[in-house]
Amino acid sequence: MTSTSPQLTGVRLLDALDASGLTGRGGAAFPSAVKLRAMTKRHTAVIVNACDGELGAVKDGWVVANHLDELLHGADLVRGLARGAVTFAAHRGSGTERRLRSAGVDVLDAPSRYVSSEESSLISLSQGGLARPMTKRSLYIQGGRDSTGRRIAPTIVLNAETVWRIAQIAERGPEWFRRFGTASEPGPRLASVGGYVGRPVVVETQAGVPVGELLAAARTPADAEYVLVNGLGGAFASIAGVSSAAWSREGLAPFGGRLGPGIIDVVDPRRCPLDMVTELLAYAAGESAGQCGPCMFGVPELSGLWQQYVRTPSARHRRALDINLGLLPGRGGCKFPDGVAGLAVNALAVFADHITEHAAGRCRYAARRTA
Amino acid sequence: MNEILWYTSRATGIVSIVLLTYVVVAGVIISGRRRPHGASPTILMALHRWIALGMSVFLLLHITTAIAETYVNINWISFVVPFTSGYAPFQVGLGTLAFDLMIAVLVTSYLRHRIPERRWKGVHWLAYGLWPIAVIHGFTLGTSNEWVLRLITLACGVVGLLAIAWRINARHHDRRRRDVILEQEWS
Amino acid sequence: MSSGVRAEGSVPLQVDRMACTGHGVCAQILPRNIALDAHGYPIVLDDRVDREEGDTAIRMCPARALYWKGS
Repeated sequence: MTSTSPQLTGVRLLDALDASGLTGRGGAAFPSAVKLRAMTKRHTAVIVNACDGELGAVKDGWVVANHLDELLHGADLVRGLARGAVTFAAHRGSGTERRLRSAGVDVLDAPSRYVSSEESSLISLSQGGLARPMTKRSLYIQGGRDSTGRRIAPTIVLNAETVWRIAQIAERGPEWFRRFGTASEPGPRLASVGGYVGRPVVVETQAGVPVGELLAAARTPADAEYVLVNGLGGAFASIAGVSSAAWSREGLAPFGGRLGPGIIDVVDPRRCPLDMVTELLAYAAGESAGQCGPCMFGVPELSGLWQQYVRTPSARHRRALDINLGLLPGRGGCKFPDGVAGLAVNALAVFADHITEHAAGRCRYAARRTA
Repeated sequence: MNEILWYTSRATGIVSIVLLTYVVVAGVIISGRRRPHGASPTILMALHRWIALGMSVFLLLHITTAIAETYVNINWISFVVPFTSGYAPFQVGLGTLAFDLMIAVLVTSYLRHRIPERRWKGVHWLAYGLWPIAVIHGFTLGTSNEWVLRLITLACGVVGLLAIAWRINARHHDRRRRDVILEQEWS
Repeated sequence: MSSGVRAEGSVPLQVDRMACTGHGVCAQILPRNIALDAHGYPIVLDDRVDREEGDTAIRMCPARALYWKGS
């Protein structure tokens, strides 16, 4: 691929990223130019996050597998701005880790824990600490201290797809980037579509396409009923309802969803979705980093209260569940309890009818299982 | 005059060891116990801080009168340099050592919000060292006809040890859960 | 405001959730602003706190888990 125009670097690159409207592709969607500009003149270490940490995420590994050269070039461009060492983060034992090591780059292998791929977890791990989130009292991009007062060197963490897009924008310009997507969510995007599908796939797409188009790209069977958008920190939606909706902030908002890390998991229609939620919450209960009370007690408690409610959907059990859910958001050391609580609240709404069925002692999925 | 200095140094010494034991026990309870509701954590914390301050006053008086009185030979350098006293250098030196450690604890606590938390914590743990040293200093320097003072010092030692033993065994829910999760794979 | 003086309650009081081990001193000193959940951890009802009371709570927290936002 030869470029006909000179490569953008340094300040001109930042301006181009501003103009392009590129936002982080890891899920938080923070404006990338603003993030890069937040670095100070000191050496800032760079971590390219290719962990695919959210459940059902595969797009970052896909970038490493299919666009490694451009990704490495993007990392180089970021290094030019950061003036620190670049490290690529992947989960230990993953194919992504293997590929990165074969490429000869510096690899940070994170343990396969749910919160270990969070930005501050990776920063902590990269500086000899544990792969658990650090307090948000400091902005680690300019360096700060964790809760014990340990000094943390300035580090910027960027999602792998984001870094790939930076290379693309440097090559093709911000106008090219804006040709895709919507005005508020511009640019090409990757979506990981998997689960109960004909073929799990990473779709090269953009904000604004109908969700149904993404489901079709993965050859989703006609008997599929629900999707889980964005994993453990996401939301369920009925395919009937969301299929015609735009895959964008505005399109997904009525369903409690968002673009986020771009994951669509089609739920197996032969299983009771409440069982799936039970499994997800039980998994979450075991993934607390154990650093703050509301999470290390509240999330396991949520898992127990959910199971209790699904087994016996009484008003009393529902009240206990609601109280627990009200005390999770905004009270943790990181956003993990927020995501899990959001998923449970969403599930209670989306599967309300089915919960009523359970209350009457029936479950239509039990019949499907034996069929 | 010298007799007044002598008795003052003994009296302030015993008050110091009692107050120090109180401070240590309060500290042990604060760090070892959790109660979700009630006023006791605040009261304990306030007492821990204020009694420490009060004890410092008695302690300074104890040291200056002990050095100033001429019945036994302790020079001013022994205020801060341990084992330099003419009289009972080892026992007096223990007191000096305890005092040195206490200065570190008090200064870091005063500056707690200006230093890294782990520094404060590391120095504060020296309290578990300085308290027994102070008790031994007090007990071994007691004379046979001051058995009341020795008894009080002994009682302080027992109470403190019981508190520390409780602290080692008592695990409150926050610490326990953190430790359990810390055993998992995080690096 | 160009001067260094802050109006009462204009900087929110925050909890470092990782440092917090549930002593409950904050809820005792700031009963209108902080309550405790069933496990003893703070629920911030209103983060706009009187400057003096907030400074006291920050000083008295055994875990050094309270701070003014931005500090």
